[in-house]
Amino acid sequence: MNRSNRYTLLAALVLGAIPLLISAAKVGDAAPEFSASASNGKSFRLSDYRGKYVVLEWHNNGCPYVQKHYNSGNMQRLQKQWTGRGVVWFTILSSAPGKQGYATAGEENDYLVKMQAAPTAALLDPTGEIGHLYGAKTSPQMVVINPQGIVIYDGAIDDKPTTDLQDVSRATNYVSLALEQSMAGKQVETVATRPYGCSVKYADSAY
Amino acid sequence: MLCARALPAAGTTIPHGTLELVAEDQWITAGHPFSLGLRFELEPGWHIYWLNPGDSGEPPRITWQFPEGLTPGPIEWPAPERLGTSSIVDFGYGDRVMLIVPVRVTAGLPAGEPARLGAQVKVLVCREMCIPGKAQLSLTLPVQSQPPAPDPRTRDLFRGARKSLPRPAPGNWSFRLEDANDSFMLTANLGHKITQAIFFPLAESQIENAAPQELVPRDTGFRLVLHKSDQLQKPLDRLKGVLLLSGDRAYLIDVPLGKPRTAIKRYGARTRPA
Repeated sequence: MNRSNRYTLLAALVLGAIPLLISAAKVGDAAPEFSASASNGKSFRLSDYRGKYVVLEWHNNGCPYVQKHYNSGNMQRLQKQWTGRGVVWFTILSSAPGKQGYATAGEENDYLVKMQAAPTAALLDPTGEIGHLYGAKTSPQMVVINPQGIVIYDGAIDDKPTTDLQDVSRATNYVSLALEQSMAGKQVETVATRPYGCSVKYADSAY
Repeated sequence: MLCARALPAAGTTIPHGTLELVAEDQWITAGHPFSLGLRFELEPGWHIYWLNPGDSGEPPRITWQFPEGLTPGPIEWPAPERLGTSSIVDFGYGDRVMLIVPVRVTAGLPAGEPARLGAQVKVLVCREMCIPGKAQLSLTLPVQSQPPAPDPRTRDLFRGARKSLPRPAPGNWSFRLEDANDSFMLTANLGHKITQAIFFPLAESQIENAAPQELVPRDTGFRLVLHKSDQLQKPLDRLKGVLLLSGDRAYLIDVPLGKPRTAIKRYGARTRPA
């Protein structure tokens, strides 16, 4: 076996070994379809929103990085600003039952009222299915999908990976940037970043 | 000597642990560099993060408050551990770790007045969940004109911490890095067979942290397959990081990316600008 064949075989072996990682949604690819129940009792299906921009926000109300954006009012401001411009905003709870950030429909509704949050809906994903479909690693990881159903941004909410409230006002918000640039018909400059925050508390999470 | 332990627990409280600022020398001497240590002691199961925290978390951040004439150098980070599950992997330290910080001392520092060294540390401590902590540390050291002398109380701490620092790779070792479609291939020629190796990149968003690093042992070293990160938006020039061999020996490596081979180019869909 010559060297190039060995490389090919090796690469194939490695790719085959990690289907979970390479099947996750990527920028430039079609956003994987999902349907889920929301805390308001309704069901939502992603493909019903073709023709609109969709923002996915991974949420865990116990995570200090998420709390930075809610206690400062930043997340609610973004939700109001962008849903006001026709964007569909899904807050997604992928924490497994018993893990930090898990909430029943009633608990999540209370939280939304208390925080004056304004997403289109808060989707309950206790099995982590949507989280794994998008390869969500942290809260608050953010994904932006364009009206054609293509992922145009995946990563951090902004460029300040800290838990400090003061950092919110001096941060560059990647979600707003992607939406503004795409809506203006421009190329989205920053399409993928490291999604800072707390690890998503899937059923198998120990960290 | 009465105390068996190097130092009594005298740290400042942080979430699920303590943090203490210690010095390697008994006093400061003008013109002589010395080392400080940030000594983290955590409850079982809790961890803090390396310089590159991996998929989640963040490294400790330190703001030094030094008198004039003292200048802190960069933190010397011990080799980290892989922490995490199948889909999310972080890099950090569990239980206890000491970060060493070298300090330069100006030649004109006057002897006599003791120096008060302060540090404000922001640290994220995690187990199942993460708790941000903040600690204000201080340490007062005499400034003397005689040459510096090590402090016997901290000697073992610094000796232990230095053992876990990655060292420069020996000059007779050679590394090659190649772009292979969705992966980087790191080939190491060390003169002997290696069966265990983990690579920790210094920078974020270069490799997929949670992907298994496939090791192929070779008579003269090994080949390691590092899956590229989805967040990697432009081609890399080089890969810098810590290579942990057989579980305990850590080396700093800095390998420029070689030109892709024709065979790989043909196989791979992704092309790089020349």
